[in-house]
Amino acid sequence: MSHHLFLLSPSDTPLYSLTHQSTKPAPAVASPLAANLPTWSTSAFAGTLTALSGASSATQQSTSGPTRVGGGQDRHDVMRKDSGMYLKAVDKFNEWTVSAFVTPGNMKFLLLHEAKNDDGIRSFFMEVWELYVKTLVNPFHSAHTPVRSGVFDSRVRASAKKYL
Amino acid sequence: MASNVKQYKAIGEELWKGRSEKINAELFALTYGALVVQLIQDYEDYDEVNKQLEKMGYNIGTRLIEDFLARSGMGRCSDFREVGEVIAKVGFKTFLNITPSVVHALPPSPTPNRQSNPTPSQPSFTLTLDENPLTEFVELPEDALEGGLWFSNVLCGVIRGALEMVQMQVQAEFVSDVLRGDESSEIRVKLVKYLEEEVPVGDD
Repeated sequence: MSHHLFLLSPSDTPLYSLTHQSTKPAPAVASPLAANLPTWSTSAFAGTLTALSGASSATQQSTSGPTRVGGGQDRHDVMRKDSGMYLKAVDKFNEWTVSAFVTPGNMKFLLLHEAKNDDGIRSFFMEVWELYVKTLVNPFHSAHTPVRSGVFDSRVRASAKKYL
Repeated sequence: MASNVKQYKAIGEELWKGRSEKINAELFALTYGALVVQLIQDYEDYDEVNKQLEKMGYNIGTRLIEDFLARSGMGRCSDFREVGEVIAKVGFKTFLNITPSVVHALPPSPTPNRQSNPTPSQPSFTLTLDENPLTEFVELPEDALEGGLWFSNVLCGVIRGALEMVQMQVQAEFVSDVLRGDESSEIRVKLVKYLEEEVPVGDD
């Protein structure tokens, strides 16, 4: 059972990606999915993003007004609620479920996975978020550029092993 | 000697506690980090960046010594060994709240005579920093590692500037740094010579 993690900047540029093979027992699902893995094509992007903004506004109740102003507005509303950062499953891409996590800095973490694992994924996202914040305070890292830190990479992998 | 060390530790602790204006460590580390990164972008040469950091430190040190002596009320150090102890236990403690350990390397018969050539028989001491507030979140990228950047080089400048104002010319440099993958961060301070009081020209 494999997972694919993507970290996206507010302008939706991928800053980090990771493929993780889980050693946990997978449900018996024959998955010829390696072929279907979205190499970050614009169509996959667009689909996920609309799903993200759609999901954000869905968590908002009707108090947000008659018309949906736009993606940015909704995400801010989502982020005001602390538990609203984790958006759970927002999309299905072929056989993969896409789970999302939006940070207060408008960074988006996406995880593509097959099995349902909400709690594990939530904990994983929280840890990735912490690790990401630690990378951000490194003066040699400029915001919204690809993450090249080896330490970050190894820690994310360790976290993936723990939760996924 | 041991009682002196304890005394210095106590003085350092008191001075640190007595300072009412403390600053958030994260802000401090971020500011210094931004400074180093900016220097790297401006000069694009790690040796030059090291020099500039040292220069900045020198300017700070020449003024900081006044503040330090005024607050601590310490008298003149009797020998270079004591200089090392005071810098480590009182100086670093007062300003950075860390106490690096000191290892002295003194020539067999330490006499503070004025030699103008830095021979191997000059006294020196090595400060080992087991923690460094400047490098709180820092991870050096590949080219900084290869280029030979000493991230905290400002500290060497501060030591050199401060000691110059009390009539000691020293050479202070990093010999190892955990940021570079070494086991510990060490600054070696070597005495070059004692400076004579210069008589202003035309004063006779």
